[in-house]
Amino acid sequence: MTTGMIVLAGGVGKRIGRPVPKQFLLLGGNPLLVHVLEKVLTLEQIIDVVITCPPAYLDETRQLVANHGFDDRRFRCIEGGASRQESVYRGLEALAGVDSVVIHEAVRPLVTVDEFRSLLDAPDDNVMFGIPIPFTVLKGHDYVEQLLERSELVNVQLPQKFEAGPLRAAHEAARRDGATFTEDASLFYRYAEAPVRILTGSERNLKITVPTDLIIAEAIYADLVGRGSGSVARD
Amino acid sequence: MGRVAVITGASQGIGRATALRLARQPDISGLALVARSEAKLHETRDAIGDGGPEVECYPYDLADLEGIPDLVASIHRRFGTIDALCNIAGYAEPSALLDTTTENVVRTFTINVMAMIVLIREAVRRMQHHSAKILNVASTAGISSRPGWVAYASSKAAVVSLSATLSDELAGRGIKVYSISPGRCATDLRRILAPEEDLSTIMQPEEVADVIARLLDESEAILDGQNIIVRRQI
Repeated sequence: MTTGMIVLAGGVGKRIGRPVPKQFLLLGGNPLLVHVLEKVLTLEQIIDVVITCPPAYLDETRQLVANHGFDDRRFRCIEGGASRQESVYRGLEALAGVDSVVIHEAVRPLVTVDEFRSLLDAPDDNVMFGIPIPFTVLKGHDYVEQLLERSELVNVQLPQKFEAGPLRAAHEAARRDGATFTEDASLFYRYAEAPVRILTGSERNLKITVPTDLIIAEAIYADLVGRGSGSVARD
Repeated sequence: MGRVAVITGASQGIGRATALRLARQPDISGLALVARSEAKLHETRDAIGDGGPEVECYPYDLADLEGIPDLVASIHRRFGTIDALCNIAGYAEPSALLDTTTENVVRTFTINVMAMIVLIREAVRRMQHHSAKILNVASTAGISSRPGWVAYASSKAAVVSLSATLSDELAGRGIKVYSISPGRCATDLRRILAPEEDLSTIMQPEEVADVIARLLDESEAILDGQNIIVRRQI
């Protein structure tokens, strides 16, 4: 059983409002991507890590990976696609020989090694993390169209793990249909028709999407490392 | 005869605000404005307008340490005196330690520290026979941890240190040396670091310039040597 990993680092920083892509933003003084790779480094089962990057930032990402001492034979940077889904597809192509694939994203830097281990050690082949939704959700735009029962819903998190073959087949099918998904558990569930196990995630495994997320992440990180200050100082 | 002030970094931010503020001081008769961008220096000069002190622009890149003696000499020749030196120019290129290039460290320390020392040395040589003031802009980054800003933060710590040392060293000559450490301020650097921030809600360059003007005023005689934190309380 061989396991590879795709690290999605394809953002261009539109919503975060910064002049650099999100994966290069600093958290506790280090780029978000580095926080993820440092944890992956300790996972012996993951033999091949493919980092999907925006073409314009491929060289910069390679330089960053080298600067921080990651072996470029195990941590490979490739060009991502125009969409998140396309980037995963390209990552799967680059991981042609593995049996299982873990997918994570650079903008979830607070993922823990224990969470990765739980995912890898789970007996199920296809696994995602999810957390309860603490707020009320309704369907609708200008008017309410439908009530939703939040106890039946789950907030989807990464990392996720899938059998490589079925995931590739699911992606091929989605491409044929022109169907797009915002993450792979949905795509897999729709096309692979195989069970996807949900492990309980953590509120701390925050996705850095909007500027406020980075402020929250700094506070969480400071708590994790027992320090009191962050990169974007408030004084 | 009024006083002549030299202001580095006068093309934008706190430097420009200081130039505009000092231009309103009745005892300031001359301003020497130093910065890399000639066009932006002229904008500062134009904003000062007529009827105030004599203003001269000196486009200069402070990374060139060798030319600083000639720069200061030419300012002294032009005005006949240097009574105040405001070291406001600064450089920052924040990055993680492992991404920080040697060039980044050298440029940051050259502009933020070494150029400041050379400027002070050359100015003090021309301040020998009268009381004068030197004001150095450090940063709160220089007095607390700033992960990801190692070059900038440590350079600003050096500014705090050199200011305290020179305050003592130059006290016998009647030259006062101030160090101020602004916190969050609505400058171009802050816009890069935190573009989501509403700059209208944080400290403005004009507020820092107001503090600088008060410190440079001849009536101020008791605050030199210490690092003065300048921060708007929210």
